[in-house]
Amino acid sequence: MGRRRSRSFIIAEKPSSYVESLDQYALPNLNSNWVYYKGAWFIHIILILCVKILSSIIPCVSPETSWTFTNLSYMLGSFVMFHWVKGVPFDFNSGAYDGMTLWEQIDNGAQFTPAKKYLTAVPIGLFLLSTHYTHYDAFTFLVNFTFLLVVLIAKLPQLHKVRIFGINRWEDE
Amino acid sequence: MNTSYPILNDLFVFLNSTITDISIVYSRIPGSGILLKYIKNSHQNDPFRTFLEALLVLFAIIYLLTKRYRTDNNLIELTPSEIEELVEEWQPESLVPTITESQRIELDKTPILNGPQGPRIKLEKAIQILRKYGVGSCGPPGFYGTIDVHTEFERTVSEFLGTDDTILYSQAFSTIGSAIPSFCKRGDIIVADQGCNFAIQKGIQISRSVIKWYKHNDMQDLENILLKIKNEDIESGRRLTRRFIVTEGIFENSGDIAQLPKLKKFKYRLILDESLSIGTLGKRGAGLTDYYNINPKEIDMIVGSMCTALCSSGGFCSGSFEITDHQRISGPAYCYSAALPAMLSACATESIKNLDRNPHLVAKVLSNTSTFKSNMANVKYVTVDGFADSPVFHLRLIKDIKANSIEEKEKLLQEIVDDAMNNGVILTRAKYVFAQEMFGIEPSIRICISASFSKKEIEKAAAITKSAITKVLKNKVR
Repeated sequence: MGRRRSRSFIIAEKPSSYVESLDQYALPNLNSNWVYYKGAWFIHIILILCVKILSSIIPCVSPETSWTFTNLSYMLGSFVMFHWVKGVPFDFNSGAYDGMTLWEQIDNGAQFTPAKKYLTAVPIGLFLLSTHYTHYDAFTFLVNFTFLLVVLIAKLPQLHKVRIFGINRWEDE
Repeated sequence: MNTSYPILNDLFVFLNSTITDISIVYSRIPGSGILLKYIKNSHQNDPFRTFLEALLVLFAIIYLLTKRYRTDNNLIELTPSEIEELVEEWQPESLVPTITESQRIELDKTPILNGPQGPRIKLEKAIQILRKYGVGSCGPPGFYGTIDVHTEFERTVSEFLGTDDTILYSQAFSTIGSAIPSFCKRGDIIVADQGCNFAIQKGIQISRSVIKWYKHNDMQDLENILLKIKNEDIESGRRLTRRFIVTEGIFENSGDIAQLPKLKKFKYRLILDESLSIGTLGKRGAGLTDYYNINPKEIDMIVGSMCTALCSSGGFCSGSFEITDHQRISGPAYCYSAALPAMLSACATESIKNLDRNPHLVAKVLSNTSTFKSNMANVKYVTVDGFADSPVFHLRLIKDIKANSIEEKEKLLQEIVDDAMNNGVILTRAKYVFAQEMFGIEPSIRICISASFSKKEIEKAAAITKSAITKVLKNKVR
């Protein structure tokens, strides 16, 4: 079987086969269930505060830069964690989730669940805060907004299991 | 504002008053002034940015208010009334099903074997063990089910084959189906022979690995497939996962013998199912490694069964210590099913000791096989599938016989079996699950040659089989 050359640069992965969905529902997905544990939502606020405090302690960093830095690091970190890394770190369901990012694994792919709503609201809230505290400077606004756009688009339900430019494709024979 | 059209006038007055009312109500809400001031403050004469932020807030509100839905709709949802209907319609099947005419005929002809054919030593040992340990085992082998006879058997097999360690399973069919998934997971690559038996196919299926099939016993095809996999690796940059080759010693469905010297040259791990070859091939009867004079420690996993040549029940998997020890936790058929009863395990040990004591038995099997096959050499109407040295072989109808479907072929074979039975030779058709086999299997009569027959009896059996075949099939040629 040779390599398939796909014509478009946006590829929608095919939905899970019957066998895969059986494997997925066999055991609770411990990798993605933590978003519902106690404290999993509050930790985001705490982490953002920590990063903000740490970045403003450094002497030659202005408050605007530290807000921007907080914003960018949170967006980047949450993007890598939710939308880049695929699969589960330990083997408990013989690879049923190997091609799915953490965002797609939450709630087994259901959209607009409480966890997903909260995790979408946090970057938006953080962005609005950071634009306010950087006094609406155009350049920082643009930078923050680009990062926010990337993070928000990745969380859209239309992009569930869609891979752009072949990044992060799951090669399945 | 006064215009010349009274209707428009009324409309404007109405709009004006509504907006004034709304703003009065809005200013009564506590905190609304702060919001208005903030928005005014943040505008900063930049309408584009304010517009973007307003869009963002709108998006957030819409997102937060949308109801959740599922993306996978594989599961059928029934309304409660549909469920009620289905429950009403269901009729339980009778405990004893009605059998068809052909099934009744088959049941009538089932022969009953009287008494053991082996030496009396085994029988006396079996009775002694039965009186000591009772009938069953306590539970799973990992949980109070392992008895000293089990470990004795495992040690005996390891010494007999020449491997490091062995693990004992209670059922031969599920041995290979449990050994393969405990090592092969999703993402690994298994290259398997197309002639593998049903148990191996199921084991490979459960493991969820990527399976590549090579043509039956064709080493050149196997090499091509391995080369193709290597090229695909380089092309797609796939990371290195575990790779296995799965094949059988003596193939159950065809009677061929695997070409072990060529197989072990490849860099893949080799899983060898020697269910039929242990006890029958080789100088000592130790299977394919003995037959080809290969060190058994070079094979990664040898899977054998005790219900063939060893005349007991159950199966085992033999290899290095790591291989067997891993299966004690991760072999499903070891962990989740009851241990082998003590008597069967002791009988299997006794069979192996018997083989050790009487090495002429294996030579007898070989000579009986060649006698039978040479007597069947000129048979028309059927092919004798299988290598010359293999005591297991199949009789299959040639293509010229007038039978198109599997049922017709099976009927003809059953007639041959019945005719041979009437003349004193019990044969049996090989049973396949045709609907679930991966590759097409032809119906056949499977013959296994035993060492307990004398040369005269073998010749007589061959002659009767040949005459039965000729009698049934001579009028059925196209």
